[in-house]
Amino acid sequence: MKLIALGIVAAMSLAAPALAYDGTNCRAPGNCWEPKPDYPERVEGSEYDPQHDPAELSKQGESLAVMDNRNAWRVWHMAQTGSFEYDVTKIPGYEEGGTPPAQ
Amino acid sequence: MRSTIRKTMTHVSPMAVAAVLAFGAPAAANDQLVELAKDPANWVMTGRDYNAQNYSEMTEINKENVKDLRPAWSFSTGVLHGHEGTPLVVGDKMFVHSPFPNTTFALDLNDPGTILWQNKPRQNPTARTVACCDVVNRGLAYWPGDDTRGPLVFRTQLDGHIVAMDAETGEDVWIMENSDIKVGSTLTIAPYVIKDMVLVGSSGAELGVRGYVTAYDVKTGEQRWRAFATGPDEELKLASDFNEPNPHYGQFNLGTDTWEGDAWKIGGGTNWGWYAYDPEVDLFYYGSGNPAPWNETMRPGDNKWTMAIWGREATTGEAKFAYQKTPHDEWDYAGVNVMMLSEQEDKDGNMRKLLTHPDRNGIVYTLDRTNGDLISADKMDDTVNWVKEVQLDTGLPVRDPEFGTRMDHKARDICPSAMGYHNQGHDSYDPERKLFMLGINHICMDWEPFMLPYRAGQFFVGATLDMYPGPKGDRQNGLGLGQIKAYNAITGEMAWEKMERFAVWGGTMATAGGLTFYGTLDGYLKARDSDTGDLLWKHKLPSGVVGHPMTYQHDGRQYVAIYYGVGGWPGVGLVFDLNDPTAGLGSVGAFRRLKEFTQMGGGVMVFSLNGDSVYTDDVNTGEWIPGDDA
Repeated sequence: MKLIALGIVAAMSLAAPALAYDGTNCRAPGNCWEPKPDYPERVEGSEYDPQHDPAELSKQGESLAVMDNRNAWRVWHMAQTGSFEYDVTKIPGYEEGGTPPAQ
Repeated sequence: MRSTIRKTMTHVSPMAVAAVLAFGAPAAANDQLVELAKDPANWVMTGRDYNAQNYSEMTEINKENVKDLRPAWSFSTGVLHGHEGTPLVVGDKMFVHSPFPNTTFALDLNDPGTILWQNKPRQNPTARTVACCDVVNRGLAYWPGDDTRGPLVFRTQLDGHIVAMDAETGEDVWIMENSDIKVGSTLTIAPYVIKDMVLVGSSGAELGVRGYVTAYDVKTGEQRWRAFATGPDEELKLASDFNEPNPHYGQFNLGTDTWEGDAWKIGGGTNWGWYAYDPEVDLFYYGSGNPAPWNETMRPGDNKWTMAIWGREATTGEAKFAYQKTPHDEWDYAGVNVMMLSEQEDKDGNMRKLLTHPDRNGIVYTLDRTNGDLISADKMDDTVNWVKEVQLDTGLPVRDPEFGTRMDHKARDICPSAMGYHNQGHDSYDPERKLFMLGINHICMDWEPFMLPYRAGQFFVGATLDMYPGPKGDRQNGLGLGQIKAYNAITGEMAWEKMERFAVWGGTMATAGGLTFYGTLDGYLKARDSDTGDLLWKHKLPSGVVGHPMTYQHDGRQYVAIYYGVGGWPGVGLVFDLNDPTAGLGSVGAFRRLKEFTQMGGGVMVFSLNGDSVYTDDVNTGEWIPGDDA
């Protein structure tokens, strides 16, 4: 099985370039995208540059970290008291961004 | 939340006794779910069992007598909008969910006119404004309990919360934050129980949300693991032998290398469809959705691992394999659809553990679910045109450049449309006939991209769409938008196929009675002969259907149930009264005729032979007796 698969990888790497993007001209296994004719390889600095704001791109990760932290306090509080409290500000000792004490 | 408890059960069926006996036994909850699912009286998860076959062994309702199917009882959820998914039945209880505000009900099947409990959460109404396609929810999950904790019911909320409720009382046990609507992340997926964990996906790729799946401890809500669809390998949770049997799919570092810069951070790949699980290999399966934005020119690269079929180890969350079906998606062919598990002989006569997945891109894929080997990839309809073929040896789709999309170009007559030839409908597999019963969309589109900036919490699509019936429909009159087909994954043949007026959006259910049930957008529950596709019976419901049928048994009688309540993506024009054909991400134009056939509603309709029920067995069932408190 593995030998067959490696053979496929070798065959893919030898594929001739397509005249237009058809998705079969791979630069590496699992990496087969190529720009369409007259479109850039990279969009940064081109007329299609989305000009992403790094601060905006970071917001999802920051939000997840904050939610996970509040959840950790909820779990900790339920383990301590046996009752669930959603509002973390009502959990004794809660500190935004802080780590709940060890169980 | 507001929770009301109506009354306790006064009648206990043999099934409920069996469930109680199982409760407290040393068997793991995982095993208990398997055992509960073996009893055809129950419907314990969205796909009936871990194989997600939506198949029932019951034969009381069959080809010969289905003409006598009549309404037995019904229940209004009190909520309009799209009712996707299906109710659950465990023992004497039916658990019913609703779209936003995601009210949950437990009904007493001994007297379904009685609401045992209801749990209505108070949610931030802003959640409605960041939902891409109506305010749907796809269902509940059930955990049968163990020796320290009674059974639980799990619900996702549009505002991003996962909630554990006591199955007996409806009281909240815990509530965790999983998704933040301020960054556009919502929840519409049905949770999924494996062992002592509940799995939850994510929604919001149309707002640039980076997708992830998270496992929580059922009892405490503690996070066990989280795995993303894009980004560094450690955040993807790739096993050390990831894709080793199929290295040509790609292996490591591609979650970043196939994106330009940090675009993977807003790259989509949410999973809001369905899960399946094989306890023997401890792998669960699901699909990651479309990359963001839809405008492909803005995101060079294969955009891994959006659009992938994943096989992950449930205990650790580690990915053993992933196969990307639509690299560098250009059409919103979000790959989240149902994964149906079967065991069949392949063309060489070898018995294989299979996974069959009808994808949005119009291809039905079948993989060996133990290692990810691609076994077949067939067009759902011969009108699929974005791809010429899928190479089984490389796994690559051979695209037809004529139907590619790009900036400064309006692509025309692309089939399927962004809605796919198959969407979120939970389909079924008939193991006797070795046929997958597929509810299909027959919709094509024109597509014109535009540039836009990413702002967290705002829509991030970048394309204008016109949708219309496919070549086999009536484009002039806006009808012929769906099909129903019976597919053999080994031969690649369709045993039969029929056209429908609108998309068969909700999915199908097959039974050993030789019947295939499904609901239609224009509001019919239909039963077809599973061998021929002949229409044997139908009933007009109060509103259109976007959920899938289920069947259960109570006191020895088989019932068929289905949600009514038109909405979801195909219903956004109707439910929000929109007229611009490009609104609703293009669905308004495609379904412009829907309002001529149905209007909003919301509830469950239950059928039995001759309409027999607890109320015809004893007309006094449910009557108030002076002195009773219920």
